[in-house]
Amino acid sequence: MTRQPDAVGATLLRGSGNQIVASGFRGTWANISAVALPEVAAALVESHLAAAGAAWEHALSPHETLIVGAGRVSDDQAQELRDDGFALVRGQRIEPASHQREAVAGRLWLLTSGSTGRPKRVAHTLASLTTVAADQPPRRWLCPYSPGAYAWWQVVTLSLAHPGQDVVFVDAAQLDSWPELALAEGVTAASGTPTFWRQALWRSAETVARLPLEQITLGGEPVDQTILDRLSTLFPSARVSWIYASSEAGASIAVHDGLAGFPVSWLDRDMPGRPVLTVVDGELLINSAWSASGFEGSLRTGDRAEIIDGRVHITGRVASDEINVGGSKASASAVRAVLLAHPAVVWAQVRGRRAPIVGHVVTADVVLDGPLSQSELTRWCAERLPDYSVPRRLRLLGEIPIKETLKSDV
Amino acid sequence: MSALSRDQIRTMMGDVLEAQGKAIPTNDATQLSEIGFRSLDFSELALRVEDELGSELNFDAPGLRAIETVGDVLEFLEQLQQA
Repeated sequence: MTRQPDAVGATLLRGSGNQIVASGFRGTWANISAVALPEVAAALVESHLAAAGAAWEHALSPHETLIVGAGRVSDDQAQELRDDGFALVRGQRIEPASHQREAVAGRLWLLTSGSTGRPKRVAHTLASLTTVAADQPPRRWLCPYSPGAYAWWQVVTLSLAHPGQDVVFVDAAQLDSWPELALAEGVTAASGTPTFWRQALWRSAETVARLPLEQITLGGEPVDQTILDRLSTLFPSARVSWIYASSEAGASIAVHDGLAGFPVSWLDRDMPGRPVLTVVDGELLINSAWSASGFEGSLRTGDRAEIIDGRVHITGRVASDEINVGGSKASASAVRAVLLAHPAVVWAQVRGRRAPIVGHVVTADVVLDGPLSQSELTRWCAERLPDYSVPRRLRLLGEIPIKETLKSDV
Repeated sequence: MSALSRDQIRTMMGDVLEAQGKAIPTNDATQLSEIGFRSLDFSELALRVEDELGSELNFDAPGLRAIETVGDVLEFLEQLQQA
């Protein structure tokens, strides 16, 4: 029997006829055969198809739902969920909650990694996750994000709410070969982190260049001009956008002019439907209508904002940017920017390392695309940075490290 | 890994200087101020030694003392490995 969404749900599900491709399934949202979810359910999914099914099921019967990749939840965390009243849904198997409680109707929980690495739950609804309101040109999206992540929901809600927005999901086992998948599926829009794009261009630039991309979206990590330029050069007719979003603050900034940072004129402006962006002591604060429940008002993001030439650049985490080198303060993001500006450097990560005499020194891991000696790269940095900021230990990596979140914690 | 020899440490010190476009002098009595070898360079050299040894040096053991020449640096790091 085909169930129909209610009136409110229907406005969020105008794209129910869009095609999705996931884990061997090819059909519309409305065609997904999903497991009926208990009223308070945590769907621990092994595939995008299972995640999409749970999302669709929630859309039709908006009880209280959490969707997350099964690999992200330890046994202890699974037990905590059960103790908090969640029934665990693993495929066809349902483990009942330790105790029954009333569902918060429409609540959608996201599990974020959190700055400590310990996952925490953040409360949304399908409406608060549906942040794109305007009609969109028809596109076939690639979704490489892990199931249940905020960015995953951004692609999913876009497809659910807007006709013409198909989605091709990339399961974890396909991440290394996504360009081939995208080419075969005729993907015209793709969203990923800068690390995701850097890895793709480094490994499979020829295949990526053949993709008929009209929309390229970056987010989840600091977005620098180098990667924007590389993508704009490769896809001159595509719109290259970067998004600032977090599970807590919601999608807050969207920049489409191909430049890193956003115009400083966007700060402190109060416009209906737009988040209020503020910089206080070098930290970005956001007051957004799309924020998670419990995070209303001006939210400290913990992200560092730096104003350069009339643009506000979000360069990394406030807590980890400063490296104290013998009393001088080096900025990890500034060092990283210099490294990435070298034509042979495709990826870089900068850290402080404990060292005798001066307390800490700057060190860097880099991935190169071309011949370059450590001495040459050190000299490149020395010509552009103060002495204390020049990386004193450089490690050349053979691969761009990337996590399930598509980030590399730069 | 066993302790590094004075020559091995000397080579590493040369690498630190080379990255700055300088060469290590042949005379170990050369003052560090003459070749612009500063505390940051000394820290880098210590990290190179640690990476090669695969263990951290214990700087508390011998106590810091006046290090003014190339020879002082080499001698100090030699002693530190034995601490």
